Amino acid sequence: MAIHLPPESTRRRSIRARIVAVGLPALCLVTIGWFAFAGSDAPTSNRAEGAPAVPEAAAAPAEAGEDDLYRRDVAPLIAKYCSDCHSERQQRAGLSLTKDASSTAIQRNRKVWESVVSMLRDGVMPPADKPQPTDEELARMTGILEETLANIDCTGGIDPGRVTIRRLNRAEYNNTIRDLVGVDFQPAEDFPSDDVGYGFDNIGDVLSLPPLLFEKYLAAAEKITEAAIITGDRQRGEIVKFEPRRMRRNGQGGDYGNGAVNLYSTAELSVRHSFPKSGEYVLRVRAFGQQAGPEPARMSLRLDGKELQTFDVKAEEGDSQTCEHRLQIEQGRKRVAVAFVNDYYNPKHPDPKARDRNLIVEHVEIQGPIEVVPLPESHRRIITRVPREDGSDADSCTREILRRFVTRAYRRPVTGEELERLVELAAGVRSDGESFERGIQLALQAVLVSPHFLFRIETDREPENPAVVHEISEYELATRLSYFLWSSLPDEELFALADRGELRQGETLARQVRRMLADPKSRALVDNFASQWLQFRNLDQFSPDPKQFPDFDEALRQAMRTETEMFFTTILREDRSILEFLDADYTFVNERLARHYGIADVRGDEFQRVNIDANQRGGILAHGSILAITSNPTRTSPVKRGKWVLDNLLGAPPPPPPPGVEELSDESEAALTGTLRQRMEQHRANPGCASCHRQMDPLGFGLENYDPIGAWRTREGKFPIDSSGTLPSGESFNGPRELRAILIGRKTEFTRCLTEKLLTYALGRGLEYYDRCAVDRIVEAVARNDYHMSALIEGIVASDPFQKRRGKRGDE
Amino acid sequence: MNAYHRIPRRTVLKGLGTAIALPWLEAMMPRTLRAEVSSSPPTRMAFIYAPNGKNMADWTPARTGTEFDLPAILEPLKEFKDDFSVLSGLTLDKARANGDGPGDHARSLAAFLTCCQPRKTHGADIRAGISVDQIAAQKMGQESKFSSLEIGCDPSAQSGNCDSGYSCAYSSNISWRGESTPQAKEINPRLVFERLFLDPNQQADQTERVRRERYRKSVLDFVAEDAKRLQNKLGVNDQRKLDEYLSSVREIEQRIDRAQNSTPQYEIPDYPKPTGIPKDYQEHIRLMCDMMVLAFQADVTRISTFVLANEGSNKSYRFIDVPEGHHDLSHHGNDEAKKAKIRKINTFHTTQLAYLVGKLKGIREGDGTLLDHCMLVYGSGISDGNRHNHDDLPILLIGRGNGTIRPGRHIQYPKETPLANLYLSMLERIGVQTDKLGDSTGKLLDLDA
Repeated sequence: MAIHLPPESTRRRSIRARIVAVGLPALCLVTIGWFAFAGSDAPTSNRAEGAPAVPEAAAAPAEAGEDDLYRRDVAPLIAKYCSDCHSERQQRAGLSLTKDASSTAIQRNRKVWESVVSMLRDGVMPPADKPQPTDEELARMTGILEETLANIDCTGGIDPGRVTIRRLNRAEYNNTIRDLVGVDFQPAEDFPSDDVGYGFDNIGDVLSLPPLLFEKYLAAAEKITEAAIITGDRQRGEIVKFEPRRMRRNGQGGDYGNGAVNLYSTAELSVRHSFPKSGEYVLRVRAFGQQAGPEPARMSLRLDGKELQTFDVKAEEGDSQTCEHRLQIEQGRKRVAVAFVNDYYNPKHPDPKARDRNLIVEHVEIQGPIEVVPLPESHRRIITRVPREDGSDADSCTREILRRFVTRAYRRPVTGEELERLVELAAGVRSDGESFERGIQLALQAVLVSPHFLFRIETDREPENPAVVHEISEYELATRLSYFLWSSLPDEELFALADRGELRQGETLARQVRRMLADPKSRALVDNFASQWLQFRNLDQFSPDPKQFPDFDEALRQAMRTETEMFFTTILREDRSILEFLDADYTFVNERLARHYGIADVRGDEFQRVNIDANQRGGILAHGSILAITSNPTRTSPVKRGKWVLDNLLGAPPPPPPPGVEELSDESEAALTGTLRQRMEQHRANPGCASCHRQMDPLGFGLENYDPIGAWRTREGKFPIDSSGTLPSGESFNGPRELRAILIGRKTEFTRCLTEKLLTYALGRGLEYYDRCAVDRIVEAVARNDYHMSALIEGIVASDPFQKRRGKRGDE
Repeated sequence: MNAYHRIPRRTVLKGLGTAIALPWLEAMMPRTLRAEVSSSPPTRMAFIYAPNGKNMADWTPARTGTEFDLPAILEPLKEFKDDFSVLSGLTLDKARANGDGPGDHARSLAAFLTCCQPRKTHGADIRAGISVDQIAAQKMGQESKFSSLEIGCDPSAQSGNCDSGYSCAYSSNISWRGESTPQAKEINPRLVFERLFLDPNQQADQTERVRRERYRKSVLDFVAEDAKRLQNKLGVNDQRKLDEYLSSVREIEQRIDRAQNSTPQYEIPDYPKPTGIPKDYQEHIRLMCDMMVLAFQADVTRISTFVLANEGSNKSYRFIDVPEGHHDLSHHGNDEAKKAKIRKINTFHTTQLAYLVGKLKGIREGDGTLLDHCMLVYGSGISDGNRHNHDDLPILLIGRGNGTIRPGRHIQYPKETPLANLYLSMLERIGVQTDKLGDSTGKLLDLDA
């Protein structure tokens, strides 16, 4: 028996897959064995005891009686093959396998038994020099053990698990800064890329914070606050400079070096200047005096012969003085002049240095028209109050400004202590003689690199007590929600609801979810979830051989991405059925992509929704993006495509190839012909490969009508394309349309797969065995609601793992 | 004195071996060395990684000793035959399954410098071990502005599963600061250049610069205090994340201190600031090589890792007429045509290595060249990409390690000699006495023989 595409009824199917994925690699051979048992009478959860406290409730006790499959069918084999080394008497590696005598005991000692399954599957145990179980015995042991481990009772309390504090990833950082500060310059572009775990880059355990990143956070905080808050002079105006040496001189004077002029008797320097438009101008002169006599050198500034202002130039050489006059000037050509007006000469003075008063003009400039740069929106949003002239209320202003900002930044009310420390920080800056605004800047920098901002922190009353399950606070819930749907912080409305404790009241959550999905910010789900679930983020790395595919260019790459993005967005925004991912009668194309797909009558770069020929297209498996990322640079790879379907649509990832067995991915340079099939048959003769490839390959063959860049084809070279296939279940198809029909029949597996992916993304942690209960409920709710996208998202938001958390268990 | 004007950029960029010889004068030394002027220039250490193993038949010389031959893949290094040794027979046991099943690629990179078995996990509780470069950085890092420099050409994987149940953190990170803390690498040469040489505060005048650094420090003090207060309230996994945070804060604090205690500041090298990631892979690699050379030359760091491509990379090398993906090809099934293509890719990588070595050799320093003061390891954690074996790895040791290494040989080590033994020997040469690194069993005794 070989049910390689899991039957509808196999609810534990994907958890089995998870066990494999979590680190228990498998010989494909054994997989067949497991399926053989999956179809038989699997243990059911006929619980007789009362519900124990969570999380023990997660393990369904199977009666240790006659119907205990473990006791009946596996324990004797363990005794036969393992107990020589691993018994109560002989505990090699500190391990006894005879102690746990029932399914319940197996479940309690989960970590050990998961590892046993892995060792058996990999053929690591029993050691080669010991008696080996037969294939049938091996399959029986691993099959029943897996089944036992996957059998969770969901009638008691659900174990919500716990999420490790999550650092903001790059997308979240950018969005959060945009919504918090109001500057949208993508500061995280220069951050190192975030590592991926469980297929997503928002997993708390995987997001690390090396010094390189911290350094970038610090630099970004400085850049952000300096862009958001203006501290210095806001006056701007074009400056025209004049060298006094080149100005017209009227009276006695001479060069003083560096363009400066020494006026040594009453004299005037002037220039004609065209003022470009009417407005406010500043006339600026840098000068110093050679002082003598009873008064300082005096300088007069004139416009068209009219005196504007007279300055006492007390400065001496080496410490020149800048004199400026600000006035309204009409457009037009005018004469600007600087004059020395109080010449003094007394050759009899005993001090030779005090005999002669002169004026040295170093520099003349005209600035204008002056415009006061308006404060940026971000400045006005943050600096809601400025202190009085004497600064006496600076601390209280700081407090008011920061209370608001920090509460949003930390996504919870700031504590008094936190606030006072920040106020002190800002005050320290002012005590250096810096401005009020610069003090705020520094306090905000501290906020933006604080762990309270960079991490999403959720607290437990008893972080080390796994028995204490509690609802997360409403602030924490609002935060989970907004990072789930927006990859950003909660907006005012969400925050206000949390503040009033109303988020969980009645229909509020569901209403908020709908509001948030309708907001443009929900595009984050496309950018961050869809692109990673469907893996079209990898499209950037796809580089088909230009000799074979000269048509492929950046415009096509971009068009492919846009198609999939718009398709996902449509299902999300129009709240359509998620089954449209598997098959739909529409898609989105622009002229470029339409031509690529052979769709007529689409003009221009704009994308439009078109109805499509169901024989050729329909659902994401006909999207160029998906077909491309699952191809090799030179040809299609039915194996990769088949694996992609199992991984991302059916939630049944095949185990990796066993070590030492060559991957089939490059089975041949040749086209997919009979020869190739023959080779693949040979490959399948190796039982270590056969079972997995019988799952993967036919799915890929069904997509052979799409070339490596997703164009439709009926021939490859001289060979006609054969896109027929038979699944291990016995179902046959000819071409992608019939394959899609079969996949639609697998809607429960698909729904479960998508639910698991989306829940992983929403929680920021990998799913564990105990999450099966929550997943089951969501899948049922989605089915009840005609597979609407909203039912899936609302189901996740309402689920225990999303709403609650518990303390840490010792073995986690 | 501008450290970078000592040797004009043209010299750095010029062809190999055409550098102008300058005497090693005190005034021309990087500032950190002036105090110890009588000693020789510092020893630098770098590890350069190329993925997916090698076509070993075209790698391993037939003869051992100084008269070794250069098979095709090593041919590009011909000019430097006296500057490197081929070390055969080394093994990276911790890249093997050892009960963990498939995942050789992820393990190979994560174990290459840690020599510890990476924990098999998609994410929860990732752990690899502390890598040799970081052990060295802890010792030597305080001597220069940056304790280490991590560079590469590929970003971390963007989605999906990287390798058989291993988080992508393993297949994209070679350098591990803590057991669970990979050191992210910088892949954009512009950002490396800015980070190493362009301090945004540089424009500011002295008073303002000092003030800004003081402010930075007060921000760091502030947030370190935040983290400490928070730590008591969290569970163990969360505390681990805050430990990472605090450790990073401390590193930056120390860097500011080091900068404050040293004048003058580094000046901007006479090198055109890179504008971004070049489309051309070779140009990308070479720019990153230049960054490493500039950093070593100016003594802004003494330790570096460079991952030419992430482990398991399926990059197409069509610019050398190999349009297929590297990883797919590496499973060549002994098909001669595919093996020839793999050789081409392997040779492309050693050609880039030769560029780096040439640059280092082209820079005079003290009584020799910068290369003489380097210890570079080049290699892969997989031997034959088709077999995925981790014994008899392709490993080169390049440079003279400040007179502690005698290069120019092919050394055949006994089967199963741990790669970690090489690292112990290297650490010893920079004054780190340690008895154990990963699965080491001792030191390689004959590197200077």
